[in-house]
Amino acid sequence: MRIILSTFKNSLIEAWTNRRSFWLQVSIMLANDLVWVLFWILFFERVSTVRGWDRSRVLLLFAILTTVAGISLGLLANARKIGQLSAGGELDAALALPIHPLAFLLVRRVDTGLLGDLFFGPILFVLAGEPTLERTAIFIFGSLCGAAVLVGFLVAIGALTLFIGGTGEQADLGFQTILILASYPVDVFGGATKLLLFTSVPAAFISGLPTRLVDDWQWTTAAALLTAALVFASLGVRLFNLGLHRYSSGARWTRA
Amino acid sequence: MAAIEVTNLVKRFATKGRGRRSLVEAVSGITFSVEDGERLAYIGPNGAGKSTSIKMLTGILHPTEGHATVLGYIPWSERRKLVRHIGTLFGQRSQLWAQLTARQTFRLLARIYRLDDRDAARRIEELGELLEATTLFDVPVKSLSLGQRMRCELTASQLHSPRVLFLDEPTIGLGLVAKQRFREMIVRLNEERNMTVFLTSHDVSDIEYVARRVIVINHGRIIYDDDVSSMRRSLLRTKLLEVRFEEAPRALSLDSVEVLKHSGLGYKLVVHTSQRSIRSVLDELLDDYSVADISVLDPPLEEIITEIYEAPQR
Repeated sequence: MRIILSTFKNSLIEAWTNRRSFWLQVSIMLANDLVWVLFWILFFERVSTVRGWDRSRVLLLFAILTTVAGISLGLLANARKIGQLSAGGELDAALALPIHPLAFLLVRRVDTGLLGDLFFGPILFVLAGEPTLERTAIFIFGSLCGAAVLVGFLVAIGALTLFIGGTGEQADLGFQTILILASYPVDVFGGATKLLLFTSVPAAFISGLPTRLVDDWQWTTAAALLTAALVFASLGVRLFNLGLHRYSSGARWTRA
Repeated sequence: MAAIEVTNLVKRFATKGRGRRSLVEAVSGITFSVEDGERLAYIGPNGAGKSTSIKMLTGILHPTEGHATVLGYIPWSERRKLVRHIGTLFGQRSQLWAQLTARQTFRLLARIYRLDDRDAARRIEELGELLEATTLFDVPVKSLSLGQRMRCELTASQLHSPRVLFLDEPTIGLGLVAKQRFREMIVRLNEERNMTVFLTSHDVSDIEYVARRVIVINHGRIIYDDDVSSMRRSLLRTKLLEVRFEEAPRALSLDSVEVLKHSGLGYKLVVHTSQRSIRSVLDELLDDYSVADISVLDPPLEEIITEIYEAPQR
């Protein structure tokens, strides 16, 4: 853990090296998030609820989503780049060190722009999430579980590159799909799509379920969320570890 | 004691071309061993299998078949144990964080290798002095020249006092002075610490200066394995003569001798020593021509290596 924290500290120092760029990128992301919030506020001026979701609930969902994105894509920026790193032979440096390469890679890079999400999410929760001690604790629990699901999912689809080759395009597609689906209330979807959100593209666990939990704590929902976090995190680690056997480093080949 | 033992190591990759998958054998059953403290050059043309071999021996790649141990560890299944005792330096990949100073990366690496903070600081200073790089350690890596960066990379690879150092094209892109300095440092580390050196390079001077033994790999197979000095002796079929005449020879015609080039009174000749002894050529030259100066040279190592590459596969 000490090694992971030291690596993470170096990543933060690196991100902080160019302070002007740091604050510019953070500000752009904050502005981007603010536009989304304004969109939802204007939307709910005209429509009072969408399948049981009102303005305050959607803002809570957005607060959780941006916090999850801030952790998964800002702090652990390489989570969505595992496919590209594998295809480009960039796991070598991590494999040359006496540590678990995935843990090292995840904390090796911070995405400055997406750190804006990490600032925005908690602020939005404080302003619009009716925070109490209990709700805040559940918000943190839900965001951490959501981040574990998202990181596990992104690592898993990135690690597929080690099996199927290519340059990790499927990881980009999966990343965009899951974030788009997670930015809408889960009850907007129905049938097969909803099933998808709880299984192969687990967007529901990233924002929908944590939001439901903050508003209405249920042990079964919490258990489901925690299980999803463990399952997807384990899936990511397992696929990555298995994929390492097929890693071809800098060679533009895939292993037999 | 053998630091590295390799037995029938094979690595196959699948390639995709025109929608078809086919197998390419990058390394085809290589077998060799490297003794503790040896300085080995592992060379071959592009695509010969050098980097694939080195990556299997450092645990980065898993082999398709065969067996290897480095310091008694199986690299791909005991990678984390092994890499505590080996250093790696890949010329085209950096261990250093570009935006940070080298010292900041060293501190992180020291933690990764579980070195005590005080021991790590002492070690960094020692290496700084040994590799004449202390002044570079507090400059952001992105501001260093390639030569300076490589000295810092070498320091990074030495923090944990590795017993084997794997170098993959370490001097690529360096200037002449920086290259020579780098080679001297590798030799110094080997001599002072008895560190085994496993070097791949396209630069013949790296081999000439650093290595005592050379393994040549081509098409995934070892085609030559001997001392550098023996390689010169056994494969030399020509000698070079540089001759300066007192007056221009009317027609220079000697059996088994070719004129490589000439300008004015100076001639560069190639003697085919398998057909005629160098002594008889010298005698004929001195008897029949007015020679002002003469010197006998070996052809460059590069030519010898090219000859090995081009020789029919065994």
